[in-house]
Amino acid sequence: MQIEGIVTQQPTMGSLKRKSPEEPSASSSLPLHDCVHHVSYPPDYTHPSSPPTQTHAEPAKKFPFTLDPFQSQAITCLENGESVMVSAHTSAGKTVVASYAIAMSLRDGQRVIYTSPIKALSNQKYREFKEEFSDVGLMTGDVTIDPNASCLVMTTEIWRSMQYKGSEITREVAWIVFDEVHYMRDRERGVVWEESIVLSPKNSRFVFLSATVPNAKEFADWVAKVHKQPCHVVYTDYRPTPLQHYIFPSGGDGLYLVVDDKGKFREDSFQKSLNALVPTTEGDKRKENGKRQKGLVLGRVGEESDIFKMVKMIIQRQYDPVILFSFSKRECELLAMQMAKMDLNGDHEKDNIEQIFNSAMDMLSDDDKKLPQVSNMLPLLKRGIGVHHSGLLPILKEVIEILFQEGLIKCLFATETFSIGLNMPAKTVVFTNVRKFDGDKFRWISSGEYIQMSGRAGRRGIDERGICILMVDEKMEPSTAKNMVKGAADSLNSAFHLSYNTILNQMRCEDGDPEKLIRNSFFQFQADRAIPDLEKQIQLLEKERESIVIEEENSLKDYFNLLEQHRSLNKEVRDIVLSPRHCLPFLQPGRLVSLDCTSSDEDLTPVFIEDQLTWGLVINFERVKSVSDDDASVKPEDASYNVDVLTRCVVKKDKIGKKSIKIVPLKEAGEPLVVSVPISQVNTISSLRLFIPKDLLPLEARENTLKKVLETLSRFGEKGLPLLDPEEDMKIQSSSYKKASRRIEALESLFEKHEIAKSPLIKQKLKVLQRKQELTAKIKSIKKTLRSSTTLAFKDELKARKRVLRRLGYATSDNVVELKGKVACEISSADELTLTELMFNGVFKDIKVEEMVSLLSCLVWQEKIHDGAKPREELDLLFMQLQDTARRVAQLQLECKVEIDVESFVKSFRPDIMEAVYAWAKGSKFYEIMEITQVFEGSLIRAIRRLEEVLQQLIAAAKSIGETQLEAKFEEAVSMIKRDIVFAASLYL
Amino acid sequence: MRGIQLPLSQTQKVRLQKTLEQLESLSSKVNSDASVIIADSIPVNHEDGVLKGHGTADLNGEVVATVCGVVERVNKLVYVRALRSRYKPEVGDIVIGRVAEVAQKRWRLDINFNQDAVLMLSSMNMPDGVQRRRTALDELNMRCIFEENDVVCAEVRGFQHDGLHLQARSRKYGKLNRGQLLTVPPYLVKRQKQHFHHLEEFGVDLILGCNGFIWVGEHIEAKDDMVEDQVSQSDPPVLLHNSASLEEQEKNYTILEIRKYICRAANAVRVLSILGFNVTLEIIKGIIDLSLSMNLDIHEMLGSEFCVLVAEKEAERRSSNKKKR
Repeated sequence: MQIEGIVTQQPTMGSLKRKSPEEPSASSSLPLHDCVHHVSYPPDYTHPSSPPTQTHAEPAKKFPFTLDPFQSQAITCLENGESVMVSAHTSAGKTVVASYAIAMSLRDGQRVIYTSPIKALSNQKYREFKEEFSDVGLMTGDVTIDPNASCLVMTTEIWRSMQYKGSEITREVAWIVFDEVHYMRDRERGVVWEESIVLSPKNSRFVFLSATVPNAKEFADWVAKVHKQPCHVVYTDYRPTPLQHYIFPSGGDGLYLVVDDKGKFREDSFQKSLNALVPTTEGDKRKENGKRQKGLVLGRVGEESDIFKMVKMIIQRQYDPVILFSFSKRECELLAMQMAKMDLNGDHEKDNIEQIFNSAMDMLSDDDKKLPQVSNMLPLLKRGIGVHHSGLLPILKEVIEILFQEGLIKCLFATETFSIGLNMPAKTVVFTNVRKFDGDKFRWISSGEYIQMSGRAGRRGIDERGICILMVDEKMEPSTAKNMVKGAADSLNSAFHLSYNTILNQMRCEDGDPEKLIRNSFFQFQADRAIPDLEKQIQLLEKERESIVIEEENSLKDYFNLLEQHRSLNKEVRDIVLSPRHCLPFLQPGRLVSLDCTSSDEDLTPVFIEDQLTWGLVINFERVKSVSDDDASVKPEDASYNVDVLTRCVVKKDKIGKKSIKIVPLKEAGEPLVVSVPISQVNTISSLRLFIPKDLLPLEARENTLKKVLETLSRFGEKGLPLLDPEEDMKIQSSSYKKASRRIEALESLFEKHEIAKSPLIKQKLKVLQRKQELTAKIKSIKKTLRSSTTLAFKDELKARKRVLRRLGYATSDNVVELKGKVACEISSADELTLTELMFNGVFKDIKVEEMVSLLSCLVWQEKIHDGAKPREELDLLFMQLQDTARRVAQLQLECKVEIDVESFVKSFRPDIMEAVYAWAKGSKFYEIMEITQVFEGSLIRAIRRLEEVLQQLIAAAKSIGETQLEAKFEEAVSMIKRDIVFAASLYL
Repeated sequence: MRGIQLPLSQTQKVRLQKTLEQLESLSSKVNSDASVIIADSIPVNHEDGVLKGHGTADLNGEVVATVCGVVERVNKLVYVRALRSRYKPEVGDIVIGRVAEVAQKRWRLDINFNQDAVLMLSSMNMPDGVQRRRTALDELNMRCIFEENDVVCAEVRGFQHDGLHLQARSRKYGKLNRGQLLTVPPYLVKRQKQHFHHLEEFGVDLILGCNGFIWVGEHIEAKDDMVEDQVSQSDPPVLLHNSASLEEQEKNYTILEIRKYICRAANAVRVLSILGFNVTLEIIKGIIDLSLSMNLDIHEMLGSEFCVLVAEKEAERRSSNKKKR
């Protein structure tokens, strides 16, 4: 391990005075940071004449440390009985505000609700609050503890459904704490936050805790408007422990400080780091195209992998504990496997770990203890290495969290999920990759994600500073890196969408109106916000348009239109002539053709100027191989072709080293090159052919040939080269050609007559006119967006969706919910329409309970698995029934003008875990079902738990239609799957 | 004609007969052969996976009706919609009930269901509008909110372990006073998007409870519960109401004209109930207008002549509606 080279970049730990860990850093760092405080008032809000009188002398809760300014600011707002949005980094200590709100509500005999996005997080918070306040209950989809307590911890989904169903709690809750409210931008679940906030009781107050979002003020404005109450914003960028950002180039062996703890970006050091990047050889690059992690994972033979070097260095420098983030579960495990040789714990720690681990695992049955995931984990943990991702058994995940908090795990490989939630900081955070796969492509990590994950670095009161290491395995622009490391947080944007369940639930109650919900949504609020901006834009553009004055505008316009027509007709003719059927016989080597080209001076070529043309010699032509080239099916006439043409080009290399070739006019500077162009780029074909030398490889030969072309050109001079006549030479007989050519002739005669064509400066005038028309088009398009944002967003979609509900018999045309609609109201954990249709078509009636459970698993399983085995025939038949139903539902939605992709909707139901769930319902042991499926243990458990949720909803649905047999069947299904490790209680409870 | 209890003259009888026949011919005949009585077997054509809903039972592999009514089918679900049954609550229904008992933390309400409904103290908004936990004091003061025999409007929340629960989502639910409570057979009230109506021209509120209890009363401006009145919060809620002061009586006084309209609307509902017609806002308005245009006294509205006239008008309306389609 070479570390001498980087001594200069090493943080100078020794020279700095160490602060004792007990000393609260807040008091000393007070002047170092500040917080921004705003208040949003609802429109026409009248301030209460006198400030609230009942100020409590005694705070509801005293903290053993001095509060940071943002904390005390937020708490003041709470004491005044006003809502507050706290936007700060994960580690800054937002929980203080939440726990104060709870303490205050308990003091005043009010109820308080704490919602969080994740069940596991709810469990952890429940434990934390329970220890402090005792009068605390928990409600998640899995477990309900003491629902009558004054402080209720729940998932946001539960809170939403409580508001739909109506619950005593909604009338007693004074404070609602939304933790991690930035989840609202989540594409799938974000809408739950929005609905919950809109539907919340009007007299309650809110505490929003969020990561740093730049538009916190906008959010507060929205809350103030919807709930007609002031909402404060307390925003701070402050980190209790400053961060240093390093880059570790792949294959290199040192760290480079790119951002120091003052927040300064060091360009020079960044460049140095990139230069140290060991370039992978060309061959390697091609091989790992798309699978860029390979090099990181495998390492080179006989050498230690980068990740091993990295961890070793971190341990040597005592930068542990460290969290290494990667973006896939598999990668996480593979990386951890490479640490096999490392041992980071002493004997005493090992004993401790074993004890904690075994006592936690005692909850499991002996069979479950034998699960490979369980038995393989302990040796790894004992060496101080952990893995944390959603594919783990929940119980293992929790053990690992506990061990990490106890400091017994020095090196944790985690996925992004570890970056939200409970305070589990490390000294160092490593990003094993700078790109992440987001469903369709690999992209750079966004600055928001970077901020969230790097927030885990630096333990308050223990570390002087947090360290963030970015492992870079490819060249990146300094601006990209700067953006990532120093960029702004992602802003909070609405991800609102309508679900049938929401619409039905709103329609069902007298006051509910889906339109009202939309009108109050953050989405609508943001759309409304854009209006003044758009209006301003229109005004500016209109002004600009007015300022353009053209003489004789009308006749000019006329002329312009003629030109346009002429142009489009010419294009039509060209398309016919250049169709492969017609032109291929004439593309012999040596044929002179003219090509479209761009002039070297990059001026906007207005439409009326003739296209820039250049000439070249045809060398060859070849068929373009399309992706799915099936030679038999595509006729030679229909295939597309490329022509190799010798002409003058300019070759440019951009910074990445990618070559770009541009064809330029013959007389300009450039190299003579043979380029391959699509046939459509050919403009005309001349009737001449020139001789081409046999060998074109030497530059000289090519240069000479081009000279000959120039010579020929000049010989014909003004008239231009003779062209192939479409009718006589090429024998084109089609009627469309004849029609077009006749019209061109007619147009050309019109040009002659047009007097304005003769006026001087015609070109400039036309240019101005074109500009004016462009402006008009632009104004039109902005006006269109303006119109769509002033009208209710989603209005059309709501209409379409209501149409679907009517067609399926879920609601009447008077918006009264019918029997089927009432069933769909109950179903919120799976696709409500498909499931309701399945139920009403009697699919569940005659099949066995195991089969039914297995069928339902398709509705809750979302992960994609490649080449998963097909389920057995009976199950496959059922699955086909499901697909049929789904297709019908989707088709109907399409007919009702709901935007939906039928096939991808059908494909969203996946049969991957049918067999496994079937076996589980049959009573198999968990290790047995893990043998028949390849999915991660944790994923399967999550799916089965969700399945149980769906079953509970189906029980309620069956009850409402009075089908007792079906109800009993669902009950039986629940009792069959709810057992053992899958429903093992959380360790936090 | 069966069931209609009216002293009719011969001509009125003929007219009514004719109207009813006309109405019958107008009604859709889809379900005419689907009426069943108890123990009738319902043909299902030996289809697979038939779901047997309310009012049906399985008897030796046959689906039989357990109530008298009309067979309804939704896809593969078969159920019998009972005629002339008691009210059967569904989640989200607006109902009106009469307080039967004040119990621990709850009121029990008679809502014409086969059991009393429960309205929890915590399911009511507090009079002071403050969001807080209910205390023992609140419980002691429950009679200040509702006491026995009060008429209360609420929404059906659903079945809990201890019975049918109601709730009051907003300020517009709650105690009803200064008006009349009418009871009609529940099947005459169809579920609609709106059950709260304000007849502006008469200054009358009309609430069509799904349970067949209909409220006609003086219009009360619904306080928008979104804007919490800052002033009212500081006012301590009046907890004792022993002596109704003169001022209060003044406040509770309903002017004669409105009282007359209330009676008129109430009689309109009564007419519909006598005739066995659906009770909807549109028809009630029509009847009130009809009675006004004929200059009828309120009590005359219940006379046979007016009833027959209403029936004729209704037949006319329905047939013209049908033609329009």
